[in-house]
Amino acid sequence: MMNSEILQHYQGMSVGDQMPELIQAVEQQMIDAYADASGDINPLHIDPEFAKTTFFGRTIAHGLLTLAFVSRVLSQWNWQGWAYGGELNIVFLGPVYPGDTVRVTGKIESIERRDNGVYARCQLICLCADKAVVKGYAICKI
Amino acid sequence: MSDYVKYNSLVEGDVFLEPPPSFDVTAERVDKYIASTNDTTPELSNVNAQGKRMAPPMLAAVYVIEALRTRVGPPGGIHAKQQFKFHRPAMVGETLLTSATVLKVYERKGRNYVDMTTETKNQDGELITSGMITRIWGKES
Repeated sequence: MMNSEILQHYQGMSVGDQMPELIQAVEQQMIDAYADASGDINPLHIDPEFAKTTFFGRTIAHGLLTLAFVSRVLSQWNWQGWAYGGELNIVFLGPVYPGDTVRVTGKIESIERRDNGVYARCQLICLCADKAVVKGYAICKI
Repeated sequence: MSDYVKYNSLVEGDVFLEPPPSFDVTAERVDKYIASTNDTTPELSNVNAQGKRMAPPMLAAVYVIEALRTRVGPPGGIHAKQQFKFHRPAMVGETLLTSATVLKVYERKGRNYVDMTTETKNQDGELITSGMITRIWGKES
């Protein structure tokens, strides 16, 4: 049976601590570069004429580009815990359009001691202006 | 004949990437990904204690989506949810093999959804990433 203990603090980290915020402007040039790097050339992202015919009416950034920003925050906050055993669970709530600025914020929601170490669960939100475009959480060993 | 997979051809439990497609983690691919996402994480610009260069964890978005490309449906489909577990970073020089299974096929608010699980291992069978993707299927002509 797995034992666990809920903690409020661990090695200088506390429940409620904010993670470093990331602000990233997204332009069509960045979306095109991501399409090239990832090979994801869905015309919804890179073809304005095609995108006009869709629900969105214009091109949108790849959702996974926004997740790359989330990963940057987690990598710089806790590389070891994120890259080795980190878990991400998110929902895409809305599109990021060229010209938007994405703000990634996160805070420690809970800290738990398990049999194999201490883990932080971090609440994550990506905002464009005041609108949430990605929401979810990550779990990392700390 | 369409060059994409029809929504009604998806079957729950279908292990559809057999044999799993391979993805070579090259320095060029990693560099391009890092540049396109503006990633300045210090660990990504150095080699580790074993002399290997690590790829960003979220490179998974590239090798998993590339593996799923044959099953992503028509243009216009979008991502609704994503789960990843990063067992360890992929290393430059490794070859990754991603398998996938259709978990659930369902309709919500008039849109067609598919949940798919994925598992990525290296050429020696070491687990690198596992995950689950929920996609909204694009409109079929």
